Amino acid sequence: MDNYIEFKNIKKAFIGQLAVKNVSFSIRKGEIHALLGENGAGKTTLLNILHGLFPATEGEIFIGGKKVEFFDSKDAIKEGIAKVHQEINLVPEMTVMQNIMLGDEKRKGILLNKKQMYQETEEILKKLKCKFNAKDKVSRLNTGEKQMLQIAKALKGQAKIISFDEPTSSLSNNEVKTLFSIIKELKSQGITVIYISHKLDEIYELCDRATIMRDGEYINTFEIKGLDKSVLIKNMVGRDVEMFAKRQKPLRANYLQTVLSVEHISGKEGYEDISFNLYKGEILGFFGLVGAKRTEMMKGIFGATPLIQGKIYKNNKEIKNCSPYNAISHSIGFLPENRKEEGFIKDLNNTDNMALASLDYFERNFFQNKKQKYKNALEKGKRVGLMPNDPDFITRNLSGGNQQKVIVGKWLTTNADILIFDEPTKGIDVGSKADIYAIMEELLEEGKSIIMISSELPEIIGMSDRIIVMHEGKITGVLKREEFNEAEILLRAVGGKE
Amino acid sequence: MKTKFKNLNREISVLTALVVMTILFGIINPVFIGSDNLTDIINQSTIYGLMGLGMTFVIVSGGIDLSVGSAFALIGVIVSKLSVAGMPPLVVILTGLLIGFLLGAINGILISNMKLQPFIATMGTMSVFRGIAYVLSKGMPILNVPTQFRNTVDGIIAGNIRISIIIFAFFAIIFHVLLKETKFGNYVYAIGGNEESARLSGVKITFNKIMIYGIGMMGTSMAALVQIGKLGTGEASAAQGYELNAIAAVAIGGASMAGGRGGVVGTVLGAILFSALKVGLIVSGVETFYQYIATGLVIVIAAYIEIIQAKLADKKGMKLVKKEKKL
Ligand SMILES: Nc1ncnc2c1ncn2[C@@H]1O[C@H](COP(=O)(O)OP(=O)(O)OP(=O)(O)O)[C@@H](O)[C@H]1O
Ligand SMILES: [Mg+2]
Repeated sequence: MDNYIEFKNIKKAFIGQLAVKNVSFSIRKGEIHALLGENGAGKTTLLNILHGLFPATEGEIFIGGKKVEFFDSKDAIKEGIAKVHQEINLVPEMTVMQNIMLGDEKRKGILLNKKQMYQETEEILKKLKCKFNAKDKVSRLNTGEKQMLQIAKALKGQAKIISFDEPTSSLSNNEVKTLFSIIKELKSQGITVIYISHKLDEIYELCDRATIMRDGEYINTFEIKGLDKSVLIKNMVGRDVEMFAKRQKPLRANYLQTVLSVEHISGKEGYEDISFNLYKGEILGFFGLVGAKRTEMMKGIFGATPLIQGKIYKNNKEIKNCSPYNAISHSIGFLPENRKEEGFIKDLNNTDNMALASLDYFERNFFQNKKQKYKNALEKGKRVGLMPNDPDFITRNLSGGNQQKVIVGKWLTTNADILIFDEPTKGIDVGSKADIYAIMEELLEEGKSIIMISSELPEIIGMSDRIIVMHEGKITGVLKREEFNEAEILLRAVGGKE
Repeated sequence: MKTKFKNLNREISVLTALVVMTILFGIINPVFIGSDNLTDIINQSTIYGLMGLGMTFVIVSGGIDLSVGSAFALIGVIVSKLSVAGMPPLVVILTGLLIGFLLGAINGILISNMKLQPFIATMGTMSVFRGIAYVLSKGMPILNVPTQFRNTVDGIIAGNIRISIIIFAFFAIIFHVLLKETKFGNYVYAIGGNEESARLSGVKITFNKIMIYGIGMMGTSMAALVQIGKLGTGEASAAQGYELNAIAAVAIGGASMAGGRGGVVGTVLGAILFSALKVGLIVSGVETFYQYIATGLVIVIAAYIEIIQAKLADKKGMKLVKKEKKL
């Protein structure tokens, strides 16, 4: 069937903004169909309409020739239309099993049939090669594991259509591989898959066709096979952009000046005896697979979680009883990986979110200088390419990638000397990534130093001055730029060489 | 396209409800809209209003304080004793406010340092504060608070207008400015919106929570002081159930019980609406029993109005599409 899912003249308006403008296209049965476009193009909004999270303002959707209209996502799931959401949507206080079975609990009479539910959960977890258990509490899982759990939840049951909204943005290579083999298996079972991602390699590996949206409008649909990447990008962004992460300016690290020195730190989260130096003007990349404990270790350095042992020196002065407050007063910033839970405050607007870590700076005789905050938000928004760049906009209502840009703006506002970026380009589109890289280089020029955690090998290799590789909580290699080599890095990341 | 998101919707709808109610009660009984009666409504709103101001801070920060009614009684007992013992009114007021801050700070310490849930912690102190009030007063009312003190907090300025109204207005302005214009106020919203994210932004959670509960309780202190002024008596059994009325004023004013949203303007309007309803029902000759029902309904309806507004917003979006079409 050529027009299995058909979008007809779909429009969606939010107050003051048309997010989707008259979009019509169709998706074939059993294909893997990519939905591409810049941040804020309307991809998530379109899928949310299909999945019944909110109604379209105008327009119709047909599935298999029949008009469908779901009033909430439960209706959609009943019809076999499941979605892996862009943002993590789990109940932290419940177990893995309870989250997977939520809304579809198995019963024996009036009582819950826990045995059956555990059995089904274990099966899905095994299929997805998850390392956590059905009985684990969700609040204990890390971001990647939570993402796998979301996927497990969507795969349960008899779906006919499954959408993935940036499923790999917090997964590491191995998990991505597992996910892809499962998506391919879904395809072989005749299930239709809609796939959103900003990583073009994934699109080429996985998808049959791709539909491109820009600024809420339908642009075009392409067959992926034989399609040139630059054509794809040009359609997405409307101009040519630099596709690869690379340094545009001369390197400027000064290896005689240590700005941060970490000595033998360990934490109960499982990182052990970590020591390294960060030099002025360098980007120090951290690479590792899931379970490498990079995020956990950085949180220890930033004081968000306690250290069991070890010392941290900023400009040769020890930072004692470190807390985020202390770290920030020592001019260290930390951009967390998990934006919804850790990155911003949901009810605040862009002005207040970007100012939050710098309120002392905006204080004049006990009062906050609101005008200055507004100006700051406007200026930082412009610098990171925020769309819409409206300081009064509630951050929660921005698209995922734009929320990420607000958080980058927030840490730029602190003017910290040392910035720890944990997956800084997570969810950011191809065009804007280059902007973020350019900002990082500007920061170095301003005399700052950067630690970057990234799970994207090309990004780490392209941007870092040195790379530290970690495996299961330990450092397994420190590489200089001239030694960078994909195979070598991966070998150390799996713990094959120390 | 530029949008100004001024979230005044809720304030406007409470104000509308207030106006509609005034007109309705006015039609039923013209006495209601007499100027004496209108100032009376405001006079009566000061107690819940002052308590509600503090409760706004607590609720916006994502907490709850069930102990305010008991703290009210305890502070009332202490200040009336001090006043009867001959302490000058201004000193009594300052002492009352200080005690309020300390009681609130105790709640804050239980919640932030000892990590108790606000509901549990303040349910505990609710009983403890009440007990201390009984112990201090030996269960007897403290009578004959000097007129000098009573005039200081609730004397008549002109006609029917009392000092307590000025005090309420003064506190409302201070609390509003504190919440909207200062670093501390920004932190209150941040903590209520997402505590972990606030912490990672360098907000000192423990310190700020102690301040939130402490400063919040100062609103209750002032309410207790005003009440002693009105009645001339301090009693350990005073203010039973007032915590719920204070919470109701905040809820009607549009604060989210989950934290992160709300404001002083809404709470003030909520408190006035609350007392207008009470007075209106009395003036219209409705039996006391029905007044409970009506009050409950108003709380539910106020919350529902917000949900309807969200739907209206969707319709507004629809209009936008039509406009776009014409262009
Ligand atoms: N609840 C809302 N209220 C107002 N505007 C909204 C709301 N939700 C989304 N928008 C707007 O709709 C537009 C499209 O957002 P959407 O999330 O669909 O983008 P996207 O293509 O998924 O982007 P990304 O790649 O960043 O995830 C954005 O400009 C966003 O600001
Ligand atoms: Mg999206």
